[in-house]
Amino acid sequence: MNRWVSDTFYASLAYVVASLLTFEVLMPLQNMFFPQYPSHASLLFLPHGVRVLAAWLLGWRAIFALLPGVFLVFALIGGWDVFQTSRLLAIAIAVTTVPAVFYICKWVGWDLFPKPDRRPCWACVMGVGVVTSVLVAILTNMAFDSAPEEYIAYLIGDISGLFFLMLGLYYAFRLTERRA
Amino acid sequence: MTEISKLAELRKLMQSMERTLGLEELSPVERDIYYAAEELSKDQQEVRTFGLIEHTLVESVSRPTFFRALKSLVQKGYLSQSGNANRGRYIVHAPR
Repeated sequence: MNRWVSDTFYASLAYVVASLLTFEVLMPLQNMFFPQYPSHASLLFLPHGVRVLAAWLLGWRAIFALLPGVFLVFALIGGWDVFQTSRLLAIAIAVTTVPAVFYICKWVGWDLFPKPDRRPCWACVMGVGVVTSVLVAILTNMAFDSAPEEYIAYLIGDISGLFFLMLGLYYAFRLTERRA
Repeated sequence: MTEISKLAELRKLMQSMERTLGLEELSPVERDIYYAAEELSKDQQEVRTFGLIEHTLVESVSRPTFFRALKSLVQKGYLSQSGNANRGRYIVHAPR
């Protein structure tokens, strides 16, 4: 029970922090440097990285661990609109797609989940991130009925978000180890 | 999986990324020499150059490459020359 609580707390916290960083820091910078860019989507969407890493670490439990964080972020952005069908559908897509893809991979014989006696494959996790990004972009755009150009923006944002989140984590680990 | 093992798995994933992207701070030869030095330093405080050269991890490395890597390890602070008059002795330091 305790593990469920701590998983949910850390995964949701990571999602909220990554979202705030994306919407409050990166997007204003994006608007400043690319004012002519028409889309409202972030070109560096860090929460996708949190979704992928949470699903890789927690498996299906990531759905419940991320749900409070994803709901909170949608509520912060959309207010009471969070209860609209399209928003609820988008929340469901956001939390279920990545674990589903990891389990489909496992089902076809490509188990990427972490095991103590196995070296993880970074490129494979990144690959799942790209595939899920395509799926999330298609499904979310269907839910929101967005313009086709938004698909590309979502894709770029998700893939770069996953990559830079991992790079950030890598340097955070290195910094911690040096200080220790 | 406990919290610490989740962190360990994440660290392993980052190591995999480190290898793929070539972000490693030490070259493979430097790493082998450092591992060998660390192993030898468990028995003695100082590590001698010829002890390192004979170590199984390093024995296939050519002399020029070995000495270049050794110099680089000293510059990066992983090894330092012993204060004794006797040259060719090194003290092993933890990664910074």
